[in-house]
Amino acid sequence: MNRLQIPVEHAKLPNGLQVVVAPDATAPVVTVGVYYKIGFRLEPQGRSGFAHLFEHMMFQGSANAPKMQHIKLINSSGGTLNGSTHYDVTNYYEAVPSNALERVLWLEADRMRALKVDDENLRNQRDVVKEEVRVNVLNQPYGGFPWLDLPPVAFRNWANAHNFYGDFTDLDAASLADVQAFFKTYYVPNNAVLLMLGDVKADEGLALARKHYGDIPAGPPPKFADPSEPEQKEERRGDVVEKFGTLPALAIGYTMPKRRTQEWYAMALLEQALYGGRAGRMYRELVLEKQIAVEADGGIDDLFGYNGPTQMVTRILHKPEYSSEATLAAFDGVIRDVRQKGIGGSELEQLKVKWRSDYYATLEGGRGGYMPKYGLMHLLACFTLFDSEPQLVNSILDGFLAVQPEEVQAVAQKYLRNENRAIIFRKPEAAVKEAA
Amino acid sequence: MATRAAEVSACVPALTPERNVTWPRRSKARLANGLEVVLAESHSIPKFHGELFFRSGNAAVAHRAPALADMTATVVRTGTTKRASRQIEEDLRSLGADLGSSAGADTSAISFSGLSEFAEPLLALVNELARDASFPEAEFERERRQKLEEVKLERTQPGFLSGERLRKVLFGAHPYADVAPTPQQVAAYKREDLRGVYREFYTPENGVLLLVGDFDSAAMMAKIEKMFGAWSGKKPSAPQAAAPANPRGRRVYLVHLPGSVQTQILAGSHAITRKHPDWVKLSLTNSLYGGAFNSRLVMNIREDKGYTYSPRSGMNALRQHGYFAVSAAVRNDVVAASLAEMFYELDRLRSLPVPEPELADAQNYLSGVFSMGIATQDGLLSQFSTLALNELPDDYLETYRGKVRAVTPDELMQTARKYLDSPNMQIVVVGDRAQIESQAALFGELEVYDAQGNKLSA
Repeated sequence: MNRLQIPVEHAKLPNGLQVVVAPDATAPVVTVGVYYKIGFRLEPQGRSGFAHLFEHMMFQGSANAPKMQHIKLINSSGGTLNGSTHYDVTNYYEAVPSNALERVLWLEADRMRALKVDDENLRNQRDVVKEEVRVNVLNQPYGGFPWLDLPPVAFRNWANAHNFYGDFTDLDAASLADVQAFFKTYYVPNNAVLLMLGDVKADEGLALARKHYGDIPAGPPPKFADPSEPEQKEERRGDVVEKFGTLPALAIGYTMPKRRTQEWYAMALLEQALYGGRAGRMYRELVLEKQIAVEADGGIDDLFGYNGPTQMVTRILHKPEYSSEATLAAFDGVIRDVRQKGIGGSELEQLKVKWRSDYYATLEGGRGGYMPKYGLMHLLACFTLFDSEPQLVNSILDGFLAVQPEEVQAVAQKYLRNENRAIIFRKPEAAVKEAA
Repeated sequence: MATRAAEVSACVPALTPERNVTWPRRSKARLANGLEVVLAESHSIPKFHGELFFRSGNAAVAHRAPALADMTATVVRTGTTKRASRQIEEDLRSLGADLGSSAGADTSAISFSGLSEFAEPLLALVNELARDASFPEAEFERERRQKLEEVKLERTQPGFLSGERLRKVLFGAHPYADVAPTPQQVAAYKREDLRGVYREFYTPENGVLLLVGDFDSAAMMAKIEKMFGAWSGKKPSAPQAAAPANPRGRRVYLVHLPGSVQTQILAGSHAITRKHPDWVKLSLTNSLYGGAFNSRLVMNIREDKGYTYSPRSGMNALRQHGYFAVSAAVRNDVVAASLAEMFYELDRLRSLPVPEPELADAQNYLSGVFSMGIATQDGLLSQFSTLALNELPDDYLETYRGKVRAVTPDELMQTARKYLDSPNMQIVVVGDRAQIESQAALFGELEVYDAQGNKLSA
């Protein structure tokens, strides 16, 4: 077996900023990322969608790079950039020709040091974010299904259950004071990790980090709300009307073990067994064999990056001639089978090969071809912020490859229970009207 | 070649000297049976990425049925004379492999990736799919039934509806006009028609095999010759379609999607193919217009006015013809305002030379981003695939940056005048008719359609 080993250097500056460098001189390209340990889960109550709106504000101007300068400087250096808000982290990243490394580090440092935005910027980005929500959710068939539909049904703690993209009234209520307070609380160097991957030497990267980030003052350690959930004792169900789509849909989510527990490793292999493409049990049973569903996919969203309650979700669009209950019964058949019989040894070995292959693809993979090493960056960031151990990127595979068949069956029995799940039925408006 | 200087404030660190971009060496061969082979080594991860494509797609059989080549490709992976569907999927998994088969207007392709330690068995499976697909009756029926639901579903997506209408408007009677079949056309697909397409298209004389990844090229070439050498088959005769008429004058096509809370705008005009000598100039013009975050259109209707989240423009190069298009999903009450700004920015590039510093920024952007694909196996594969498909010269990648940096403001304005064809743009808007019709009608004679493609009375 040919194992991939990634050189990783890790340091912590006196202000608490963690720095990770993963040198690889293959191509003259460097990817830079800054991750802050705050996502939409723990955004302030009454301000749903704020973490994401705030992410937009980070592109609106900092002390020495006014609005548009940041974007212009990255693009005109031959690079691309973006940011994204997740459950428990928010990231900002750039891929540039390596001769622009110091410029990118300076830009990220400038906006870590001081955000300089006004009401006009906030109004503008509030409008932009509303169009983002419309294009991705409100004006799309199955928009937000099921990532926005399930949480309010599955969870009881506001942190896990609210609308992560934001209710428009909450977006409208967000003020410049909220922006600066959020920045001051969470966007401190001691709540962040800076990453450099690709064409940079380790000592050079660390020296540049000290030069540009060393004098940014640390803040008080952020206080985080408790995201834990009361114990669930019953199956939970909810309904959503589908405004545009033609097919009835349902989604089933089971709450997962904590990450990096022994159960978590076994669950990841079970996920591969259930959702690994056309060979996965869910697709094979529901689409290929029983031919009830048109789409049947799912999995654990961001396996390495969740730091609070999360679910393994199955998403099914089914043919109108089958009822929701019949579809759910077919789904339950797949779950029952894995609970009763587990996964055979030879199937598990196949799954491990595919797991290893997918893991390598994640490490190399970019976003849309223009963000090399995005996956490696994300893993290193999560292992640093949550585990203080970026080297896990090289050793974590062992944990997955060591999983035994009986462990897979054990997590199936413990977690894939009706009392540990929530179900959303999303039915086309036309069908709902007919039934009424 | 040095990066061109851009105007930046004093405290911004300067760019350091650029490292050369060195594309990996390609090993190319044409086997005795006509199959073209392109190999490139990239040892970033212990995997490889590949593609076996054939130079015939939906357009070549459009007269038989729309998207027939795509349906053929879909069923190709569901069975061979040696393996049943389930066996194929489990074999792929046990090799750590992913595989897809699909067809576009001009090509049919099997794309795959897997662990380098299992390259040989994965290539053997690809070889089998290309030569011995058996089109099992039950698999065909299932995929057809599946496709039927998919084509109904896509008619609820604003992005699909706008793209479909624009292609019809721009290409008229040409095969490129049809991007998707109707449910009736899917119901009429016959297994024999798929087998016919397979026999004609999937031949070594019509094929290109590309591999990028963690292998030794010489050893890999020997394996490929052994595995694919005994395959035989001629290039299919390609029906020549008459050139599509280039629509004159702005017209507006409204696709009525009741209940829409946003409007999808897509406007386009005829442009050029990838082989055209103006391609690089138009790429640069597009970067300045709406092809980058830092472009004029994005700055205007997103960062200044907040009309939209997702404005962009791009060139769409099909093999025989190309088109330029600009799109944005905008608030219902600013459809006219957004179109006005889209045309304003087109006309500005057609009327005034681009200032030198802005051009330099765009040149740096385009040459930088072009080279980004060099860092990943699938990024490399996608570049080599574009080269092979469009039969571009061997030194295309190596000379691209130089060509980008040679473009002058005057050439850029001439390019905008030629291809950002503002007076003849065909405008599609997808949204709720009652909310947007009067705004859309300001921009040209209006036709209204429903989501099924039926023309509604004005």
